[in-house]
Amino acid sequence: MHLTDVIGILVETVVLGSIYGLVAIGMTLIYGTLRILDMSQGSMVMVGSFVGWGVLVVAGWSPALAILFAFAITFALGTFTELISVQPLMGRRGFDFEMVTFITTFAVAIVFANVALQVFGPFQKNVSPVVSGGIDIYRGVDLSYQNLTMALVSIGLMAALGLFLARTRWGLAIRAVAQDLDAARLMGVPVMRLYPLTMGLASALAGIGGVFLGAKFFAYPGAGDLPLLEALIVVIFGGLGSLPGTLYAAYTIGLIQATAEVLVGTTWSLPILYGIILLILIVRPHGLKGRPEEARL
Amino acid sequence: MSAVTAPGATVSPTATRIGRGRALSGAEKAGILALVAVAVLVPFVWSNDYAVGVMVTAMITLVLNISWNFVLGIAGVWNFGQLAIYALGGYGTGLLMLHTPVPPPLAILLGGLLAAGVSILLAFPTLRLHGIYTSLLTFSFAQVFLFIVVNDPAGLTGGSFGFPTVRGLYSFLPPTTALHAYFWTVLAVAAAATLLVAWIRSSRLGIALRTIRDSPAYAAARGISPLRYRVIAFAISGFIAGVAGGLYLSYNQSFTTSAMGLTPMSIDVTMLVIGGLGTIWGPILGTGVLTGLQVSLVDYPGIQLTILGTILLVIVVFVPSGLVGLLSQIRSRISAWVAEDEEADDAAVPIAREES
Amino acid sequence: MNGAPRAVAGAEPVPAGRDAILEVRDLWSGYGDTMVVRGLDLRVPAGQTVVIIGPNGHGKTTLLRTISGLVKRRRGEVWLAGERVDGRSAEYLATLGMVHIPQGDLLFPDMTVEENLLMGAFLPRSWRKRHAALEHVYGLIPGLRERAGQRARTLSGGERRLVGLGRGLMREASILLIDEPSLGLAPVAIERVYAAIRDIHAQGTTILLVEENFTHIGDVADIVHVVEMGSIVRTGPLEELSRDQTVVQTYLGTL
Repeated sequence: MHLTDVIGILVETVVLGSIYGLVAIGMTLIYGTLRILDMSQGSMVMVGSFVGWGVLVVAGWSPALAILFAFAITFALGTFTELISVQPLMGRRGFDFEMVTFITTFAVAIVFANVALQVFGPFQKNVSPVVSGGIDIYRGVDLSYQNLTMALVSIGLMAALGLFLARTRWGLAIRAVAQDLDAARLMGVPVMRLYPLTMGLASALAGIGGVFLGAKFFAYPGAGDLPLLEALIVVIFGGLGSLPGTLYAAYTIGLIQATAEVLVGTTWSLPILYGIILLILIVRPHGLKGRPEEARL
Repeated sequence: MSAVTAPGATVSPTATRIGRGRALSGAEKAGILALVAVAVLVPFVWSNDYAVGVMVTAMITLVLNISWNFVLGIAGVWNFGQLAIYALGGYGTGLLMLHTPVPPPLAILLGGLLAAGVSILLAFPTLRLHGIYTSLLTFSFAQVFLFIVVNDPAGLTGGSFGFPTVRGLYSFLPPTTALHAYFWTVLAVAAAATLLVAWIRSSRLGIALRTIRDSPAYAAARGISPLRYRVIAFAISGFIAGVAGGLYLSYNQSFTTSAMGLTPMSIDVTMLVIGGLGTIWGPILGTGVLTGLQVSLVDYPGIQLTILGTILLVIVVFVPSGLVGLLSQIRSRISAWVAEDEEADDAAVPIAREES
Repeated sequence: MNGAPRAVAGAEPVPAGRDAILEVRDLWSGYGDTMVVRGLDLRVPAGQTVVIIGPNGHGKTTLLRTISGLVKRRRGEVWLAGERVDGRSAEYLATLGMVHIPQGDLLFPDMTVEENLLMGAFLPRSWRKRHAALEHVYGLIPGLRERAGQRARTLSGGERRLVGLGRGLMREASILLIDEPSLGLAPVAIERVYAAIRDIHAQGTTILLVEENFTHIGDVADIVHVVEMGSIVRTGPLEELSRDQTVVQTYLGTL
């Protein structure tokens, strides 16, 4: 391996890791508060890609508008998903809440993908990059401005989320609900309003990610499948419900994937990831920073 | 100053509600017999080969769903890798048929055993894991398996093109007769699987599994070993799924990766959930209803999944226990209504007597 | 709401002019098929501290959790300051000024002491006054200010109890429900907790306090109810009950 490879891997790690983090952090947030795995998170990336296509390519407007629209639309969709597929199941008995919401959010994802198929057709659409051009970092190692922007925006959004959770009233409330639901309710936190809000926020983050990912992977109805899988991998590896864990995991997975791509080529990198996930689940299911009690029976 | 007893204040551990009972009620047994009797006549009555073929495929899926319902619904394990086990049975059977002189029926059984064996291996890591993690584990396993099949490093599976053509069970018969033979064979297997699962469900094994599923702490206190019972559950469901796979291979004379992907998995899970997880009639109702839907929507391939997804959502939200749950709710409402009526009649009589 | 004192079984007739902040009528509550609170009647007059004593498992904690909305009642009524509130959510009751300081503290483990306290002032009106409230609580309860930045999960039992108490004081309460503040604490810690409770009582806050026995409630209890098997079996001022041999044997003996 040459130095150029190493630098290439480092760059790719930061780029991949940041976008993984952005999409996965929504899932962690949702799991922490609602205690569900939101299987519709991937389809929010897909929606974001289509919004990107619609705004940037079809309408020819600015990237800032694309991001704004993606945020608004996926926030609304995420809230809607929570209200129809999670909220009605809360507090009821006679079934496994986690399993059933796994299935219902999955059903929502299928519906979204299918609607997209009907509306936009099966062929992938090119989404223009938010910014074009790039720089040469080191003797042939390219960093496109698109990737750079993607990484910066992702990092920025994750930092903003962190600040929101640490410093604001609602951010504190979200953390409270995640840490002790009963206590949060006793403090007067309107949990039934907080849940859709949280899911909307998480979906919006994924939607913005979709605007960028669309340029790399095109906008098409199935565009949500891969991000969903990758987000699941990151979230489990980092420990379900742990935000710092998700961050570490995102960059670690990014590193693994970047290395795998250099060493064995792109075809094998996804199965290798799956293999890793299998290994983690067998050896240390609570991941890096999750709580063991939650993973084990 | 003495303690007042509140209405219904007895503690009832869940296990006593998981009664032994009979495997199937008299009405249910009659229902299944009737269903089988009707089904047996179908090939005689209906001369539409296409329709019969659809039913064969549906019944193969039913066998798969029965196996899946057993591990997911009755044993309560979030196994989302059942399609890989199913495929394993199919490919295993195919390899045996292709490369060995083993007669096809035996090949199917051996395929089932192979699937059971791998399924048992899968059981072990799931023991330590909580629900969602198990789903990821099994799902990842399925993805890795799919990947291996598609990339076909040993040149065994035929990759995305599908398995090379095999003889199947009834290739020595003329096409329509073969079709009917498959129909009755699969029907017999489906009926046998249903009865087997029903019998198991009310046996000690079934009770143990359901206790582990509903009250793990109580099960542990009673010394019920999750390891032993889960391995058995995986073995049985794996075997049935493998046999289904072998049947699929025989009937279609090949096996393709399209039977393994996310779409068939979504459809199958929908069938299970809509029918009612953990029940005996669930897979039958679910597979039946959804196949009917698919057939009626065959001209509109695009919206099929949308409608499926919406129906899944609606049913799960309103009746999480599926169609079986809905039917039993209707039944209890009716009998409550009848009982009210009878009570009213009983109450009316003394007054009438007094007046006279 | 002015009314003639109502004779409710198990409660002392209240002097005219004193309204009941909290009123519980024929309450039945429990888990699954098991009723733990069985036909309980209770009145907490404004400004008073009503103490409930009783053995473990006889419904004291369930009573508080039902009143505060965490547990759904099976039957009966709960009235808060003249408004019927049984069946309402815990979040809603919090907006009416119900403050429940639960057994086990239920602190937010990964938040700091100060963040825990701030959550106590979550409701909009209280949030606006949170800085003043924080100062007030730091002043009232010793030891909190020094630990403001410490993670709740690293605190000792006594410290946690004090944080829980402080968190409950971060907003204006129409009534404070306090569940076994002495549970699991060393005597020194208990004394600190009860010093704070005495201060709160002296300020005229209405309190419903649950304890397992008589040991510490001396200076705060206006009325004591003894709960057994889910309903009130004895009522009276502390001095009267502590002269009753059977009661003393049962409840002073358990420590």
